[in-house]
Amino acid sequence: MSDMGKVIRSGERVALSHYSLDAEQWEAMLAAPGATLPLLSCWADEHRVYVLLLKGDCPLMASTAVEDRRYLAPSSRFPAAEWGERVAYDLWGVEAMGASGEGQPALDEGVWEATWPLSSRPGPGGQAARPVPGRTVLPAEKSGLTGPLELSFDVVRGRVQAVSVNAGLAHRGVLHRMIGLTPEEALPLVSRMTAGGFVAHPVAFCRAVAQARGLQPGPGVRDCWMILLEIERMSVHLFDMARTARAVDAGLLATHCEHAREAIAFACAEQGVSRRLTDLVRCDGFRAGLEIVPLAQAVVSAMQPRMAQLRELQSVFAPRLKGLAVLTPTQAREFAVGGLVGRASGRSLDVRRREAGMRLDALRSTGSSEGDGAARDALRLNEIRDSLALIQRILGSIGMDDDEPAPEATQEGIGAAEGARGDIWYWVRLRHGKIEAVQARDPAVSLLSVLPDILKGELPEGLPAALRSLALSPSGVAM
Amino acid sequence: MSVFQKTGPLSVLHAFMDASRWRASADKEASVHNDMISLYVLETGGCEGCAMEVESLCGSAFALDRYGFRRVADPADADWLLVTGAMSRACVQMLERVWNAMPPGKSLVAVGACAVDGGVFGSGYATIGGLRALTQVRRSIPGCPPSPQDILLGLQRLAGR
Ligand code: SF4
Repeated sequence: MSDMGKVIRSGERVALSHYSLDAEQWEAMLAAPGATLPLLSCWADEHRVYVLLLKGDCPLMASTAVEDRRYLAPSSRFPAAEWGERVAYDLWGVEAMGASGEGQPALDEGVWEATWPLSSRPGPGGQAARPVPGRTVLPAEKSGLTGPLELSFDVVRGRVQAVSVNAGLAHRGVLHRMIGLTPEEALPLVSRMTAGGFVAHPVAFCRAVAQARGLQPGPGVRDCWMILLEIERMSVHLFDMARTARAVDAGLLATHCEHAREAIAFACAEQGVSRRLTDLVRCDGFRAGLEIVPLAQAVVSAMQPRMAQLRELQSVFAPRLKGLAVLTPTQAREFAVGGLVGRASGRSLDVRRREAGMRLDALRSTGSSEGDGAARDALRLNEIRDSLALIQRILGSIGMDDDEPAPEATQEGIGAAEGARGDIWYWVRLRHGKIEAVQARDPAVSLLSVLPDILKGELPEGLPAALRSLALSPSGVAM
Repeated sequence: MSVFQKTGPLSVLHAFMDASRWRASADKEASVHNDMISLYVLETGGCEGCAMEVESLCGSAFALDRYGFRRVADPADADWLLVTGAMSRACVQMLERVWNAMPPGKSLVAVGACAVDGGVFGSGYATIGGLRALTQVRRSIPGCPPSPQDILLGLQRLAGR
């Protein structure tokens, strides 16, 4: 076990993968010799600060008490923790000591009714820092994304430098709304966390809830969720490819991607479910009446014949995306960028590979280390191919039992799902059947921390194409 | 031109021809309109579900222009502003900026439940709860999200077509 892992496990185990550390252990974790475990998420409230890490392919979580509204900053060791620290300050007014960043607001644009709105001592609103004059701004409505995200940057010799991201425009305070609800009552909110994860967010949440309750979804539910995830993956990859293609004038590729995505939606609607698979996932399985086999078959039939042409067009237009918005393998590792973007930059994390019952032989795609727009697009298509293969493999042995044991019920659970845009994680703590605490981690968050490095050196007019190629979702970032 | 030289020209040509064959929606009966209505789309802090469906409608799988609508990239060219999302407090300024940039005679259309009253997100410290908190919402298209077909039908209804 790594030294960092050992330090964490020296704390008090409060749930399956969660260790409570005292101040000394927390400090020791941040200074532990040896490799740094990849950080999935960092968050804090008035009482505790948490880090969710990855040990091998399993989650490992550590937390410690917040004292006098302060805690030792995880970003001193995990650069990607900075975003969570800034969010915690904006929402709760708790401060990270020794943080790596400049402490800019993350979500609070200065227009909320209160400062630190979730704190027991909120202040008057309108106190956040205003934009620095003299910087070039890419306003949210021109970012090229489907959600509001504003960038400000300097232009040096015609190229973008020193990017800062204003993500608060998309913040809705969804997690806070879930507190005090039963998981079933909270599910409609989770099901609208971000449109790229209409399936993946609820699956990750329901897996966390099942763990907290000491339940193990049966093989039928497991396979149904897997199929829904793959249908969503294909549809979202096609959307992201089409949007990127439009930004680089590859209209023909965009057209075929749009038609293919629409064909999937049409097949879903014909099978009696919503076009984007909304509200199908339930805490105990799936919506009554869902016929997963004919749905899967209809989607495969709609998609399969289009693959050869999509492949051809993708390779024709690939040169237009060469060198666009490069995420190097080192950056991907350092900022623990997962999902498709991470896999196109040499990081092989795919949480599907750790799932019980996964038909691993269908996941053939090996990723890339180029890390640019062309690599991401090629990978999207490879993953669509794998999704089709995976769905067919599941259909061949649907409901196959694997005797996965149920976990112990600790009222706390962690769940993950590999969404189209990356690994989604939920942590929930229940009390008397209601949600006492919850945290969600969308893959967009890990991208956010490294975005300034990725966009550095791009042409200002190339930013929308770059952002689309990264498939950054503001609703996922800000929640 | 370079595209044709570098790769199999026939397959790309087929792709051009196939583009309409693969269209999933049935829009063959749509009539040609001379009085185009220009749409500008603004997402204001929802889950992006409605925005993505509007995006689909504006893409090539639907022949929006055959129904007398076109999407524009500049609010100064727009007749109607289509708003999606729950209207975060931070987005109000953006809405004002875009609305003010539109020429006189403009209309506001709320697309999806969030844009009307905040939908599933309601109002809170970060959201005001849709356009209803700012103005009377006279034109809206329900759904969470509405499908591109629903949005198109809603637009046609609002245009009196
Ligand atoms: S109405 Fe529904 S789909 Fe549309 S933005 Fe709101 S939550 Fe998302």
